[in-house]
Amino acid sequence: MINESDIRSEAATKLKDVIDPELGVNIVDLGLIYQMYLREGKTFVVIYTTTTPGCPMRRYLQRKIEEALQSIKDIDAFETEMVFEPEWTVDMIVEGVEFFSVPPPILSDY
Amino acid sequence: MNKTAVLDLFFGILLVTAGVGLLLGLYTGLIRLGLSMPTAFELGAIAHGPLMINGFLATLISLERGAALEKLWSYIAPFSFFLATILLLTGSVYPGGFFLLLGSLFLLIIMGYLCYLQSVVHHYIMATGAAVLFIGNILYILHYPVYELIGWWIAFPLLTIFGERLELNRIMRPPKKAQHLFAGLIAAWILTLIIIHFNRDSAWLFNSIILIGISGWLIRYDVARRTIKSIEWTRYSAWCLLTGYGWLIIAGILGIFYGLPAAGFIYDALLHVFFVGFVFSMIFAHASVIIPSLTGKLVPWSRYFYLPFFLLHGFLLIRILGDLLFQYSIRSIGSYGNVAAILLFLGGIIFQLTRESVRELNKRKNVL
Repeated sequence: MINESDIRSEAATKLKDVIDPELGVNIVDLGLIYQMYLREGKTFVVIYTTTTPGCPMRRYLQRKIEEALQSIKDIDAFETEMVFEPEWTVDMIVEGVEFFSVPPPILSDY
Repeated sequence: MNKTAVLDLFFGILLVTAGVGLLLGLYTGLIRLGLSMPTAFELGAIAHGPLMINGFLATLISLERGAALEKLWSYIAPFSFFLATILLLTGSVYPGGFFLLLGSLFLLIIMGYLCYLQSVVHHYIMATGAAVLFIGNILYILHYPVYELIGWWIAFPLLTIFGERLELNRIMRPPKKAQHLFAGLIAAWILTLIIIHFNRDSAWLFNSIILIGISGWLIRYDVARRTIKSIEWTRYSAWCLLTGYGWLIIAGILGIFYGLPAAGFIYDALLHVFFVGFVFSMIFAHASVIIPSLTGKLVPWSRYFYLPFFLLHGFLLIRILGDLLFQYSIRSIGSYGNVAAILLFLGGIIFQLTRESVRELNKRKNVL
């Protein structure tokens, strides 16, 4: 039996490797991941946003999120959905994050 | 073929066309300097400006913004700019003009759609950038001389970049008052573009003063002042941004002293301070972000990129000096140097991406 909480935790860890090159911070700490859940015990769903609807990094981030999810053994099928509601704001960024640090910082305990 | 594959294919083709637009634009720049080589198209020196604005910048910017929407219709803009470039170069003036306007219109629709999705100041500034391109291109189709519409063409990349910087610098959390000041300066700056058609000298004087104000705002509130202490691409990008803002101040100073001439050395200086000093600085600055958004691959950092950076600014200084001294030969040296800098930067990006792909391929082979 797959434990949804474990998968979510592993997905969050993998997604912390996805860096938004515009800000040099991972997408989890940026607050771009809105929701992650297992639908009907089969499909892992990630609902995320971008810092702006016209974000040129959209294709890049989509690709990197898919790569991150593909690398999780316990996930057989996944779906990603990009949403603009609620609108992302800088207040969603994890407090104390350092932008453009090298290597990019990981702060949240998602 | 699914929708994503179709969009990827469109994207790849249009990215190449933007590159072709840049190369043709640079080549016509060299024609202006007297270089002549046999080409399939009848390329004239006069095509330099329209090619750089529409064939390269408008194609690239509309592709970047259009791709973010992931909708088939959002590719009409870059595709139209590409068709317009080819048609105008081959002498098909009317269909070329039609596609130029169609591209400008669809870029405006893309930006309008973004404003509809999120009604925020930076989107409105970028949308105004699309609107001024539309106005500039209408005037171009109506055969207005370039010196009369150049203000609109200059404003297109500037407003697009101003909007993008305001968007990115949200993380700096500039005070509301500062944001209002920025929006106010930009609104006043756009107003001067309209007044140029009635009182060129006064309008450009105010335009230049306001431009210095906008540059000052950007220097004060841009994250670049912090990230210049970072390393690799981040530091490089900060250098490019701050240098670009510096060139805007120089453009403002030139404008205050000389106005906006209709032709000649000062006209050349002013235009290249804007387009090479500021716009190409911004392209160099954003390359590490633009390239992944366009190709899906990060560009590995190399100190090599400082070479085209220094060449770009060094040779631009020489060019401006040549213009101010009315010395064609000095200007010419600067111009060739600028073309070399841009090509060296482009070459460096392609080299780094290719090397990284080969590395990844070898890694995969070793795993298998």
